[in-house]
Amino acid sequence: MSKECCGPGYASPKEAMQADREKLLHTVALYVGTGVEKPDYLATVDVDPDSPTYSSVVARTEMPQVGDELHHSGWNACSSCHDDASKSRQYLLMPGVRTSNINVIDTSDDTNPKLHKVISGDEIKAKTNLSAPHTVHCLGADIIISMLGDADGNAPGGFLHINEDFDIVGRWENDITGMNYNYDFWYQPRHNMMVSSEWAAPNTFMPGFDLEDVGAGKYGQSIHFWDFEGKKIVKSIDMGADGMIPLEVRGLHDPESNEGMFAATLSSNVFRWWKTDDGDFEIEKVIDIPTIDVEGFPVPMPSLITDILISMDDKYLYFANWLHGDLRQYDITDRANPKMTGQVWLGGMLGKAPEVNGVKVQGAPQMIQLSLDGKRLYVTTSLFSSWDNQFYPGMKDQGGQMYMVDCDTEKGGMSINPDFVVDFGKEPNGPSRCHEMRYPGGDVTSDIWM
Amino acid sequence: MAAPGIGVFPQTMTSDATHKVTVANRGGRELAVAEGENIADACEAAGIAVPIACRYGGCITCAGRLVSGSVRQPKGTALNKRQSQDGYILMCVAQPKEDCVVEVGVETHTNLYRNPFLGPLK
Repeated sequence: MSKECCGPGYASPKEAMQADREKLLHTVALYVGTGVEKPDYLATVDVDPDSPTYSSVVARTEMPQVGDELHHSGWNACSSCHDDASKSRQYLLMPGVRTSNINVIDTSDDTNPKLHKVISGDEIKAKTNLSAPHTVHCLGADIIISMLGDADGNAPGGFLHINEDFDIVGRWENDITGMNYNYDFWYQPRHNMMVSSEWAAPNTFMPGFDLEDVGAGKYGQSIHFWDFEGKKIVKSIDMGADGMIPLEVRGLHDPESNEGMFAATLSSNVFRWWKTDDGDFEIEKVIDIPTIDVEGFPVPMPSLITDILISMDDKYLYFANWLHGDLRQYDITDRANPKMTGQVWLGGMLGKAPEVNGVKVQGAPQMIQLSLDGKRLYVTTSLFSSWDNQFYPGMKDQGGQMYMVDCDTEKGGMSINPDFVVDFGKEPNGPSRCHEMRYPGGDVTSDIWM
Repeated sequence: MAAPGIGVFPQTMTSDATHKVTVANRGGRELAVAEGENIADACEAAGIAVPIACRYGGCITCAGRLVSGSVRQPKGTALNKRQSQDGYILMCVAQPKEDCVVEVGVETHTNLYRNPFLGPLK
């Protein structure tokens, strides 16, 4: 993907949108919580419609140990290193949330990825008192990873700093005062800012979701704004009942922009965040998905917005409602007033689309990844093994699925592509669950411009 | 004169003391598990594949059922009160205090989780 003059990625979001269509897609595939006692693996999926193996898994790279719970992943380098010809987007870092191991996968041959190195969870715990790695972002030559717990699985965790040789440097942050829990983060270097969100302590979320834990304050409801250079929190906002469990944080891709979006998963609200002209930070709720009273359910069912992303041109917002079972597209040209322009249904607890493209859907829309040109949205159905087994117990025996949604980038609109489905229930070693996705050439949740 | 009965009092037991752990849903295999050894390690050593992940009691991947007997587990494991009351233990940290019968694997997890929006587990 890199040109002779340049490092990885693209000079700008506009240039990224002109890139060749993605031909391969890497996703994590898990055996944790399925009854198959084998390591999780990186599954490489053929997404080239002209290929004879289109819509199937073409490579499987096993992790060296059982029980990682692969979850999110991140590149060693992205467009933030575009002006450094010595860098390339070669290594995919794949943390295990449960083991705290960070598996570094060499994708030089992207149809045959290979294990390069494991940063041991035990070493991370011993050197930094951190565990449960989550989001990976590269920052030029450095890599930082949000860590959700201390070495014993208690909150609030912190941030792990590793260098380009994948050696542990130490803890990245100088001060986390105000942070109750940790989860995702996004940074905007031109505005010296970072935004981080809150899930819960590993000891709380690992065993499954319990409403009593919510009542006991064991889940996050705050968002944190950072002085990026100073590596310290400068403002925390407690959102109360409107902002319970804020997860994925996305910034607009325009590097001049100082705003973005995040969703409060349990409250099922989308918030806009921005930096004001006088350097303060603000948020406002811009989308509110109502709960639904379902017959036989004693508690109103939230939609549970579990993943959210913004198209490379910053025009559309997409998010997944993992309990209700729909994927939505909003036009966010007017940032404060998003307008819904598309919706599709896949699985879910409301029973609106139990079978799609000939496969019974286990789970519902969950992790999403958009093509650089904004026209294809890939979606997987697994959230987290213990939560999957709680809400969609069939997935442990039937596996997760991957679908593709065609997106109209002119007028808005979404439709499930009828020719694409990857059923991880049919994997050779037994059904597995699929989660976050990455393209070899970069994507809309990796690339940030310095 | 040597104190009589050394070795019969629990407080003088050494780590050499072992208990019989019967894995009921793996053909009733019987394992000799040392007092200081966790059941998951003993299963793995005997070639019985069990789900395993964090190995410190912080996640719930290795949960199984204690059918009879008793085990020592550190406080603050990932199991909540209901799960413990339902007989679940975490094999990666559970050490036998006496002869035990256990069931292992994901097939024991039917009552481990509940969908909180569906109300209490029946």
